[in-house]
Amino acid sequence: MLSAVPRRIFHTFFRKPPAQRVTAKVPPYIRDQDSNTDNEQPLPHDFRIVYPEFLPDPRPEWRNRLRERLERNDMLTRRSVVAIPEFYIGSIMAVTVGDPNASDKTNRFVGICISRGGTGLRAWFNLRNVIDHQGLEIMYEMYSPLIRNIEVLRLEKRLDEELLYLRDALPEYSTFPLDMEPELLPEGAPVPINDIKVKLKPRPWHERWERKNLQGVQDLGLPQRFYNKAKLHEKPWEKYDLMMEYRATIPEEEQADIFQEIAPHYQQLESSRRQSKRRLAQTSRY
Amino acid sequence: MNQAEIRKLIPALRVAVTAKKRRFSNPRGPDGRLHKMRTTVNELIKNERMEVNYNRADEARGYAERLISEAIRYGDCHRPTMELADFWLPEKQNVHKLFKVLVPRFKDSQVSYTRIHKAPHVYPSPLFDKVVLELRGNPFPPLEKFTTKRNWIHNILLEEAHREYLEKKYKQQEQEQEQEEEEVQ
Repeated sequence: MLSAVPRRIFHTFFRKPPAQRVTAKVPPYIRDQDSNTDNEQPLPHDFRIVYPEFLPDPRPEWRNRLRERLERNDMLTRRSVVAIPEFYIGSIMAVTVGDPNASDKTNRFVGICISRGGTGLRAWFNLRNVIDHQGLEIMYEMYSPLIRNIEVLRLEKRLDEELLYLRDALPEYSTFPLDMEPELLPEGAPVPINDIKVKLKPRPWHERWERKNLQGVQDLGLPQRFYNKAKLHEKPWEKYDLMMEYRATIPEEEQADIFQEIAPHYQQLESSRRQSKRRLAQTSRY
Repeated sequence: MNQAEIRKLIPALRVAVTAKKRRFSNPRGPDGRLHKMRTTVNELIKNERMEVNYNRADEARGYAERLISEAIRYGDCHRPTMELADFWLPEKQNVHKLFKVLVPRFKDSQVSYTRIHKAPHVYPSPLFDKVVLELRGNPFPPLEKFTTKRNWIHNILLEEAHREYLEKKYKQQEQEQEQEEEEVQ
């Protein structure tokens, strides 16, 4: 006859309670009380979009408030020496670095920005170009003292957040002339979105692009079984995962405090941003 | 990559959260964790007080706070917020309750919207940490004893002594002022 009390409870009563696993908690963010709230400047709506590297890495194990403050100071100092323009994934840029082995001691590379990342002084971006039928990608650290000049030749956005699929696309989509002239936008115009649909080479690819929900590629033309498999790997519930979203962001109050810190220099940053949009190509004579 | 997500501006949570999410493996599979959280949040909004295990409560607390703050910020006329409420609250009367009852209750609040109290372990259930998860402003009797030290004899006597001292000081000041006026005349 089955007992009324389930066996599971009997087993667990004599078991020791589970060992207290130390799950480190992140305390709620409290606004900076030292700052003077009278002349507080409101957070610009595009601050986090134009200067994303000023925001720290949201992972708590990588946070260090003092280091972040010191880095932001150094970043502002560096920006006062070399103007780092506003750019997005899909913008075509030219970077001049110091090269002791070159004849004129500089090395210039033109390419399309396929990815960017990093926080603070370690912020980087990747430029891709195809030279002599060879695809080339160079990663530049934005605040490296070796960088002499960064100019944006064509400021635009793309439909995707990362253009790594250009590695598997036809070379014409990654080829840009090295002597490209900068294309100027009218003053105050929004950043144009290039809705080009890129054609990929036949498989094999570097990644399973059919699973990445890419907007900027033409129809991949794969057999149906690929799309069926891709559907099994989809995670539609992640769209509603509020805590995953929260853990990946810096809260609004913290962004406002970070902006207050750099607010004295913001005018300078914005004027140099507007200038770099207006400036004609200057041959680097360093 | 390893930059903060910048597409959305989110207000800070007013509760402490674990650095990493808790896994909650369950037979439903990959979406089971969120389903479990959804059930907990739904019940919290419906009944405003519930007794659960600590880990589940702590994780669901974050989701509940986020849901309420999204509802406060964007309101019910905002389509993505409505879809979010639709996902998180499978019982549709709770969607109404969220926007019509909880948003007015919490919209001017500066503190967290939820509270957690430790609950006793009752023999013979397994030795898991039990807590009571509740929304602030719920209609039930409070679980915390609100103790105040003002009625302690020490404090009453000190207050009286302070008052007497102030009275004496004002009298002295008045007398000094009168003396000065006499001298001037």
